[in-house]
Amino acid sequence: MRGLSWTPLIKASMERDKRLWRIVLLTPPLLVFSVLIVGPLLSSFYYSFTNWNGFSSSYQFVGLSNFQKIWTDRLFFQATVNTIIWMVSALLLPTLLGLVLALLLDSKVRGGKFFKTIFYLPICLSAIVVGQIWIWIYQPNWGLLNTLIEEITGERFRYAWLAKPDSALFSVIVAWSWQQTGLSMVIYLAGLTAIPSEILESSASEGATTWQRIWYIIIPLLIPSTVVVIALSVINSLKGFDILYIMTGGGPFNSSDTLAMHMYNESFKKYLIGYGSSISVVLFVIALIIIGIYFRQLRKFDQIYGQ
Amino acid sequence: MKYINRRKLLGTLFALPFIGLTTSALAQSEVTISHYFTGELGLKAFGEQMEKFEAATSYKMKNSPVGHEDFKTDILVRASGSSLPDVFSYWAGARVQFIADSDSLKPIDQMWNEAGLDQIVAKTVADSATMYNGKRFLVPFNYHYSGMFYNTKVMADAGITKMPTDWNGFLALCKELQSKGITPIALGSKNRWPAQFWFDYLLLRSAGPDYRAQLMAGKASYDDPQVKQAMGMWKALVDAGYFVENANANTWTDASDQVARGDAAMTLMGTWITGYWNGLGLVPGADYDFFPFPSIMAGVPSASVGPVDGLVIGANTTNPKGAEEFLKFMVSDTGVQAAWSKAQGALSANVNVDASNYNSVMLKAFETVKNSDAFAFNYDLATPPPVAEVGLSMFARFMDDPSGVDEIMKQTAQDAAGAFNE
Repeated sequence: MRGLSWTPLIKASMERDKRLWRIVLLTPPLLVFSVLIVGPLLSSFYYSFTNWNGFSSSYQFVGLSNFQKIWTDRLFFQATVNTIIWMVSALLLPTLLGLVLALLLDSKVRGGKFFKTIFYLPICLSAIVVGQIWIWIYQPNWGLLNTLIEEITGERFRYAWLAKPDSALFSVIVAWSWQQTGLSMVIYLAGLTAIPSEILESSASEGATTWQRIWYIIIPLLIPSTVVVIALSVINSLKGFDILYIMTGGGPFNSSDTLAMHMYNESFKKYLIGYGSSISVVLFVIALIIIGIYFRQLRKFDQIYGQ
Repeated sequence: MKYINRRKLLGTLFALPFIGLTTSALAQSEVTISHYFTGELGLKAFGEQMEKFEAATSYKMKNSPVGHEDFKTDILVRASGSSLPDVFSYWAGARVQFIADSDSLKPIDQMWNEAGLDQIVAKTVADSATMYNGKRFLVPFNYHYSGMFYNTKVMADAGITKMPTDWNGFLALCKELQSKGITPIALGSKNRWPAQFWFDYLLLRSAGPDYRAQLMAGKASYDDPQVKQAMGMWKALVDAGYFVENANANTWTDASDQVARGDAAMTLMGTWITGYWNGLGLVPGADYDFFPFPSIMAGVPSASVGPVDGLVIGANTTNPKGAEEFLKFMVSDTGVQAAWSKAQGALSANVNVDASNYNSVMLKAFETVKNSDAFAFNYDLATPPPVAEVGLSMFARFMDDPSGVDEIMKQTAQDAAGAFNE
């Protein structure tokens, strides 16, 4: 058998069956994707044109009336505003805080590893656990926050952060940012290691201040990391339903409803599956637009940086 | 190469129908159930009652309990996927009406009549809780009564020996407690529903059960003078500082703890609070007691408010016989009913359960319901779910800022009218 190589034969056979292999290997994930994502997505589109209540086996097609109702639904309007606030805050706060922490911890600080671990820890916790921790922090009578304020001011302070319409959403955003900051920090730390130390050293010898080095050298060179951070923040904020659900449930009286929460309430509390589906369709379109804009910007970025 | 043994293959093919029959027989002997009795005491006690059923019959129960609040969503998800269990617990009233209207329940008239449940089920809850669209769908498992539960020591220390029976007496009590530095009323409306009992009783005692029934059915409006009057009385209590601070930040157990600790004197809550307090080691009668919500207008019938927990059968059950047997057993067996009502701090739906089974507080609750002119489901069980959502949010909004009551009621009237048309 010496001299006879099987490799070309296998290669030829593989080449011949390449198409078949593709189909075989792609079928299981595509099936799972179809059943868990495409199927429910299509049925949401379908039910958005009906008045199904979830229990009944029969329902009527109501055309576009669910979508018409959206325009007169003041809670939908409020949820849209909250969603915008949620997304912008969930994008900006963890990104900026993560950058600041990364810059602080990148320099040789005492206990740097310890702080990195501490700041990264929240991302390892589930949103439910994070939510519960912050419910305790915000507890009006014995929570950490009010107790701290009382200690500082010396006056009785019993503000119910999660039960007041003016502060509920922002209180959840703080909790969310606390969790997500660790992720941004780690990505920025990885980005900082890729910046050649010679550039920073030579800029320092040329007389650049710390602030100038950060603004004119480090931040521009961290753009690839920023792209990843923004992508993850947008995706995570669109998925950010669980922490709101556990902390406020959209309350008090719908003041912290986002579109996802409003869709949930209409569908599962009011039993208006048809209307809830129409909200989910609108949410889907919004997500599609955001992702479209993001990919367009990403393409531009690739052209500039040639990556 | 391994060859398939033809003898084995034939044997397997021959056995297949029997395997199918066995599986089918197993399915026939298994009854699937989902319920919301998931509190520490409730879960254990319900499991014990199911074991009694299994011991008394040839059926096996396949149990899937879901937390009280999550159950409302879970059961809808299961219904929408046509995968309702054979039996599930549900709250009698508008919620059962909603799914009965959707043809998702199996009628139980035949079983009801054959088992003579008319002679067993308490009259207080029999027809209102079990009949929907002229058919019976629900077997009541227990019912609760909502009253003003108080800390006896706090009241005694404040020198209060006689509990009020009318509105002026109640206002005087609150004033007296407040003057002694005690917050009169605890409320934990974080999950909104605990606030509903205030609306229920204020409206029932001032406008009467008939008007309230009209409002619940969409035949009256939330900006009617009757509703405004009830809300006005509620506002007066909040404005006077009789309620605890930040009610919307607390759950009903937080409010119960406030009363148990003596941070507040009383709370308007259902009899399930007795199960909770007993679990904390409080002694009925000695540590806590209750008085019925005071009368407001002379001549208005006295109504008791509370929920009825029931068991229903999914329309597509694969084991209707087993499901019916389970429902029949759970309400008929006095041992089950006595143990269950004791563990849950509930009133038994079975008239044959000896009243001596109740502690002094529950006995008083039992007598109060018996002597009432009417029994009304609490708000979120009395009006359709989409409307209940509107009302429950209204209560929370009101507790946050009672000064905006006029605007709140105007908005609620508009939203409720829309929800009735869904």
